[in-house]
Amino acid sequence: MAFQSRRKFCYFKENSITEVDYKDVKLLRRFVNDQGKIMPRRVTGTSSKMHRKLVRAIKQARNIALMPYTNISTES
Amino acid sequence: MRYYESLYIVNPNFEQDRLDEVMKTVTDKMGEYGFSIINHRLWGKKRLAYAIQKHKYGSFILLHFETETVENLNQFQRFMILEKPILRNQTVVLDTRPEVQKEDEIVDESKEAVASSDSGSEKLEEETKEVVDEESGETGDEVVKEEASIEKESVEEEISETVEETAEVEEKEEVQE
Repeated sequence: MAFQSRRKFCYFKENSITEVDYKDVKLLRRFVNDQGKIMPRRVTGTSSKMHRKLVRAIKQARNIALMPYTNISTES
Repeated sequence: MRYYESLYIVNPNFEQDRLDEVMKTVTDKMGEYGFSIINHRLWGKKRLAYAIQKHKYGSFILLHFETETVENLNQFQRFMILEKPILRNQTVVLDTRPEVQKEDEIVDESKEAVASSDSGSEKLEEETKEVVDEESGETGDEVVKEEASIEKESVEEEISETVEETAEVEEKEEVQE
């Protein structure tokens, strides 16, 4: 095949991270698209256990204004 | 014993003295409720992802505390909401006891945070972003144009070839007849 898809892997398992901190915005930004939406697990390849923790961390970061709910209002 | 982490945003226009005042009122209230403080420090002045009460920036203060009773937590939450200089607060349960941070580290971190949130660096970032956008936009268009022109040429060639072939075939047929 000419087009081989890149193998997906769990970022957290690869780097042996067990807890996700909502203050670590640099890490969380990897799992959010330009609009600020949380990327699905089938795209990122995160394990379901870590995805649950990740989603919670992103929502906490949004609540305390470290991350945007949506990026549309901030750009204009 | 349960451990909690509370992060709250204070009005960005407050200077160090008034920040200390706010922190002192929070500390006093914690003592009143019977919470024992582990860490209480300024995390730094940061840009908010969205405006809160029309403020674009906010001074983030991080508070670690421990308590055995959960009863006063609701009251603490209420106090934080009612306190005017505090724009937003969030309390999270921690699994393990947080490490006690030394004062030297705290000073260094806050300085770095302030330096990074200076307006000068931000302007630079914005400029670089714009430049990158322009470059990427132009190069993208050029590439697309080139591809389009190549495709057109190839299509024209193919058409001309097919026309020639059909013409030859017709001639042959005529000859056979």
